[in-house]
Amino acid sequence: MNKILAIAFKDNFVRFSSPGEWLFFLVLPVIFSVVIGLATGAQTDSRIALLVVDQDGGELARDLIDVLQDSKTVAVREYLLSEAEEKFRERQAPAMLVIPAGLAEAQAGGEEVELQFTEAAGNVDAVAARQAVQAALGSLGRALQAAGVSLTAAAEIRPFADQAARDAFFQDGKDKAAALFADQPERILVTGPAQKAEEDFWRPNTQASAGTIVTWVFIPLLAISEFFALERQLGTLRRMLSAPVSKAVYLLGTITGQLGTALLQMLILAGFGTLLLGVSWWHDLAATLTIFLAFGLASVAFGTMLGTFVKTQGQASGLSLALGMSMALLGGCWYPLELFPEFVQKAVLVLPTTWAMMGMNDIVLRGQGLAAVLPEAGALLGFAVVFFTVGVLRFRYE
Amino acid sequence: MALILEVQDLVKQYPGAAEPAVNGVSFGIRRGEVFSLLGPNGAGKTTTIGMLSCLLKPTGGDAIVDGHSVRTDPEAVKRLIGIVPQDIALYPSLSARENLRFWGWMYGLGGKDLARRIDAILETVGLTDRGNDRVDSYSGGMKRRINIAAGLLHEPKLVFLDEPTVGIDPQSRRNILEMVKALNAQGMTVLYTTHYMEEAQELSQRIGIIDNGKLIALGTLDELTRLVGRQDEIELKIASEHAGPELAEALGKVKGVRSARSEDHTVRLVADDANASLPEVIGVANARGIKVIGIDVREPNLEAVFLHLTGRALRD
Ligand SMILES: Nc1ncnc2c1ncn2[C@@H]1O[C@H](COP(=O)(O)OP(=O)(O)OP(=O)(O)O)[C@@H](O)[C@H]1O
Ligand SMILES: [Mg+2]
Repeated sequence: MNKILAIAFKDNFVRFSSPGEWLFFLVLPVIFSVVIGLATGAQTDSRIALLVVDQDGGELARDLIDVLQDSKTVAVREYLLSEAEEKFRERQAPAMLVIPAGLAEAQAGGEEVELQFTEAAGNVDAVAARQAVQAALGSLGRALQAAGVSLTAAAEIRPFADQAARDAFFQDGKDKAAALFADQPERILVTGPAQKAEEDFWRPNTQASAGTIVTWVFIPLLAISEFFALERQLGTLRRMLSAPVSKAVYLLGTITGQLGTALLQMLILAGFGTLLLGVSWWHDLAATLTIFLAFGLASVAFGTMLGTFVKTQGQASGLSLALGMSMALLGGCWYPLELFPEFVQKAVLVLPTTWAMMGMNDIVLRGQGLAAVLPEAGALLGFAVVFFTVGVLRFRYE
Repeated sequence: MALILEVQDLVKQYPGAAEPAVNGVSFGIRRGEVFSLLGPNGAGKTTTIGMLSCLLKPTGGDAIVDGHSVRTDPEAVKRLIGIVPQDIALYPSLSARENLRFWGWMYGLGGKDLARRIDAILETVGLTDRGNDRVDSYSGGMKRRINIAAGLLHEPKLVFLDEPTVGIDPQSRRNILEMVKALNAQGMTVLYTTHYMEEAQELSQRIGIIDNGKLIALGTLDELTRLVGRQDEIELKIASEHAGPELAEALGKVKGVRSARSEDHTVRLVADDANASLPEVIGVANARGIKVIGIDVREPNLEAVFLHLTGRALRD
């Protein structure tokens, strides 16, 4: 049997001979992702959250909400205006629909009313939610037409600079809406002024799935340092190096074993992410595999380097856990980086976990493919080269 | 080539240590012999073995194994030697068979041949029926036996056994000593380190005595004991402790007795030949009415050699 593979298999045999290891490999990460997902409001369905405020309370408003609730695209969450606005600001949903009071009167022949739709700028989910609202309005066409309803969409993340800007924006939308409404009463489309997507939106389920993978793969890969410490403590490293086994073969064997297991773990956890949280990891397999492999290499290299600084297995395991946890937290695995202060967001670019999260978010949050993850994969490979170089140069058997 | 291993002025200076741990050691091991390196704790035995097995880089000197230098050709040396480390070097959570299979792979063995060798070696160390149990369920002696087995799987020409009997029960110790003799009878050359002189005496054709990193004597058991002269030690146990000094004085005048000292219930004599002097010694005691309750005769041994050479006992 090839020596590298033999060492790789042996390491995993030793690792999984302790039942506690399964806890870290699979049980805890799955629990962790579900808990984080639920705590931050992820639905197990993959529909886009739509905040709805019903200030009217009439029959027509109810009908509209019912139609939306049956939608395959959006999941309606009803709130009071203040709550909805807060949740929108906290980015728990990409879009908010406000049905103002007066819809019922409008239907009975009163003033025209204007539904307000607010969406996160440059967000794919928000656009889809807007289209779902428009489709719902369409299906209620006749009743709404009678009420003279128009829909105003505003793309915003931050409040408007001042009332004037707000008025101007809505006036513009209203004019366009009126124009569109004239010749296409059932499909109301209002486009706001083009706005750049300055910041990324986040979704609880993608955050939970990607964050779990980075955290729970990173920690065991740092713990490769434990293998080095353990082999030294057991004396098996001496025995290994007095057999015809070179330092390179030994290192490659141990690294291959743990990297292989980590890749398998990432694929399994991604599978759970799809199953339990409805996260799409699979639309571009090459992108997913690339970022997984790059992240695995960076982590295992970091663990290898760490292994040359620790003396005992206890030290190694403590340090792996502490470093792993804090780097996962700072890398935005538990809480979206966008919510960190600006300078923190810049500073944490020195961590591989940050790049891993960014790369994975390209895939699961933005639905992007291989080309989009290449910069992050490149950065991770850069980390791998640096860490491996230090680790291999410092590696001693004594 | 008569010598399978030639050690040439080997030196190892650990960084930060005041004195070299091994300080100019030279010796040769003949093909087919058991050579013991005998020395107290910290003498430099393990450090020497470390250099011979290419784990430690010598600070000075060299060692040649079957024509290959440990300095310039370690890969060839590693293939020729088997090493049984002083501390047990096995994976506790794997079974003995799994451990042996893994170490077999590390020596490039595999398949049916490896399986056959594992069966054979488990038989040799008497652990066939425990082979599938995890090593951490073994007694200290059983672990030692598997530790040895792992170093022999690839049937090396030359094997280094570093204190393989430390801290084990008498039965396992016996098993190991018999195994070493059997392997040697099959043609394996053995370098055996120990601080038990009995083991060195029983096993080896030649013995090197190492102390403070220096080889202070080298030869067969006979050659070494001749260093202290042919003198035996006689120890008499007497019933009355008050009679000691008087008896010692009288016995000092017996022919062939070099010296006599008393201490509590014991009188110690050094004699040229214990057998020749004993009848007269007993006679002197009887004549004085002193009851002798025990007699112990010791021929010169490695303990005495070590004491003679260093002024210290081998064991503290
Ligand atoms: N890695 C090391 N670094 C520094 N000093 C060491 C190291 N290993 C051993 N020494 C020192 O070198 C000397 C020789 O040690 P060594 O282990 O070779 O002795 P030994 O004869 O095998 O003893 P023992 O019978 O206790 O196994 C000792 O003084 C020891 O403290
Ligand atoms: Mg030793």
